[in-house]
Amino acid sequence: MIQARLIIDQLKATQVTHAVGLPDNATAALWAALREESSIKPITVTREGEAFAIAAGLWIGGAHPVVIIQNTGFFESGDAIRGCATRMRLPLVCFIGYRGYKKLASIQLQPAIENLTPDNLSRADVDSCGLLFEPTLRAWGIPYQQIANDTDLPKIAQAFDQARKIESPVALLITEDTV
Amino acid sequence: MLTKEQLIGPLAGLRTDEVVVTTMGIVRPWGRVSSSPLDFASADSAMGHAADLALGIALAQPQRRVICLNGDGSMLMSLGTLATIIQSGAKNLILFVVENSTYEIIGNQPIPGAGIVDFAAMARAAGFPHAFTFDDAKQYESLLPNILRLDGPVLVAVKIRPGNEGPLSRRQEEAAGYLKVSLAQSARQLRDALARK
Repeated sequence: MIQARLIIDQLKATQVTHAVGLPDNATAALWAALREESSIKPITVTREGEAFAIAAGLWIGGAHPVVIIQNTGFFESGDAIRGCATRMRLPLVCFIGYRGYKKLASIQLQPAIENLTPDNLSRADVDSCGLLFEPTLRAWGIPYQQIANDTDLPKIAQAFDQARKIESPVALLITEDTV
Repeated sequence: MLTKEQLIGPLAGLRTDEVVVTTMGIVRPWGRVSSSPLDFASADSAMGHAADLALGIALAQPQRRVICLNGDGSMLMSLGTLATIIQSGAKNLILFVVENSTYEIIGNQPIPGAGIVDFAAMARAAGFPHAFTFDDAKQYESLLPNILRLDGPVLVAVKIRPGNEGPLSRRQEEAAGYLKVSLAQSARQLRDALARK
């Protein structure tokens, strides 16, 4: 598990101004902590694609946003990510809850292209979000790392550095609930 | 019904230091009346996301008004943004819905709910303090100066005659200055312009 308060400390250290997104189970504690934090304005959206457009507008306006969503919302956001993030060369860090990760790990099914078969994608004991997530990130050219506990906190600063260098979005996949 | 020129002419005449975000069938016409560094075309970008992009700029620049000239088809793609705008607390956003009832740049295919959907009513129901619908050029022009001064967010639905704008591109051959550069360059130019002002 990863402490929400420590994530927020990392965001404050990089002078993040806004957190845009839609809460899920994994990030619920993070959103709750953000509502208590005066230096970062949380903006909840009705659907995750808006988060990328709003983040693009914030960045254009001189702010420093992050996006916080679940992988289901990542899928939903497709054209918004393409048109507002990657095409605009937005140096954006996205925290994305990795729904389905633990299920895959427990049955030892790898989220790889060769496993994206109709049978696997429709299996009752497989969350297809988990199976599709990393192959989709790779297909879309979005670099990513997983964060699961407090020892992964340095990856947050690394993600910001990388997003700045490549001028393109970078994802941090949250595999355990924030607390 | 208004023509596009009757919509954008008075607006361009009153515009001072607002950011103006355009999309779809209004991108080129606006580019014919304005060449401000504070113009931004949501073109070659994400379809249906001009209003939320404009919201982001408004939130980052609370001291400045942000005008979005959104299409009706685009607005339908992200109606939830009306609620997001209200929840965000942005008061400096003026959201125009340019109602030609068609997807103009792909050959004027009718949009869903054409002639039935009431954008101003939806905005009021979402909590917008001010929402207007115009289908008369004189009334629009006479009320526009006050509309631009209201504490928002404000939605202004303007019924216009469909035009014949084709697909958008970003290349040197485009007449509108803000279409001559890539989306990424355009975003950075506006970011730099806002940082200077």
